[in-house]
Amino acid sequence: MANPQQALQRMTEEFTTLQKELSSVVEARQTLESQLQENRSVQKEFSGLDDDANIFKLIGPVLVKQDKSEAIMAVGGRLEFIEAEITRTEEKIKNIQEKQEKKKIEIMQLQNMVVQQQQQQAQVAA
Amino acid sequence: MASKESKGPQSQQIDLNTLSVDNLSAVKKQLDEELEHLTQSFQKLRQAQNKFKECINTVKTGLRPGKTILVPLTNSLYVPGTLADTENVLVDIGTGYYVEKSAADAEKFYNGKVENLTKNLTDLEKIVSQKSQNVRVVEDVLRQKVMSSSAQPQEA
Repeated sequence: MANPQQALQRMTEEFTTLQKELSSVVEARQTLESQLQENRSVQKEFSGLDDDANIFKLIGPVLVKQDKSEAIMAVGGRLEFIEAEITRTEEKIKNIQEKQEKKKIEIMQLQNMVVQQQQQQAQVAA
Repeated sequence: MASKESKGPQSQQIDLNTLSVDNLSAVKKQLDEELEHLTQSFQKLRQAQNKFKECINTVKTGLRPGKTILVPLTNSLYVPGTLADTENVLVDIGTGYYVEKSAADAEKFYNGKVENLTKNLTDLEKIVSQKSQNVRVVEDVLRQKVMSSSAQPQEA
C-alpha cells in the first residue's frame, strides 16, 4: 500500500456507500412489512364474508365487481409474493451488514497502521 | 455508584458508566432517533384512528333515505342526486378492495379497526415511555461524565 491515507479515504467512501445501500434496503423491508399487514387484514376480512358478498376492486377510478374466490386467490398470491420478497430482502440486509462489518475491521486495521507509521516517523524525526 | 440500566428488552445489560463520552453520545443519538420514529408512528396511528371514527359517524348519520347529495363527476363538476340505497355501503378494506356491507356491519368493521388501533396505541405508548426513560438515564450519565471530565481535564 503506497499511500495508506488514500486507501483509507477510499475505504471510508465504500463504507458510506454500504451504509446508504443498507438504509435503502431496510426501507424496502419496512414497505414490504406494511404491505404484508394490509394484505393480511384484507384476507382476514374476506374469510369472514358470506360467499355471495359483493366484492369490488378499484381499478383506476372504476370499481369492478369481482368474485369472492377470485379476490381471495389474488390476495393469497400477493401474500405469497410479498413473503418471498421479504425473505429475499432480509438475505440482502444480512449480506450488506456482513460486508459492512468486514469493511469496518479493515478500516480499523488501516487506521492503526497509519497511526503507527506516524509515530515511527515522529521518532525518526526526534 | 454503579447504575445499571437495561437498554430495551433485546440488549443485554450494560453498565453505562463504563462507556466513554463519545459512546454515550452515540447511544443517545440512536435512542433519540428511535424515539422520534416511534412518536411519528404514534401520530400516524392516531390519525388513522380518527379517520375510522369519522367513518363510523358518517355511517350513523349520513344514510337518511331521500337525502339529496352532490355527486362529484370531476374535481370541479358536481351533479345533484339522491341516495338510492341507504341500507348498504361499500367499505374500503384495503389494497383496493371494496366490500358491500350493511350499515350495521360497516359500523362493526370500523369499530373493530378502531379497537385494534387503540390496542396498538397503548402498546406503543408503553414503548415510547420506556424509551424516553432510557434517554433520560443516558443523558444523566452523559452529563455527569462531561462535568467530571471538565473538572479534571485530560484524565482518562
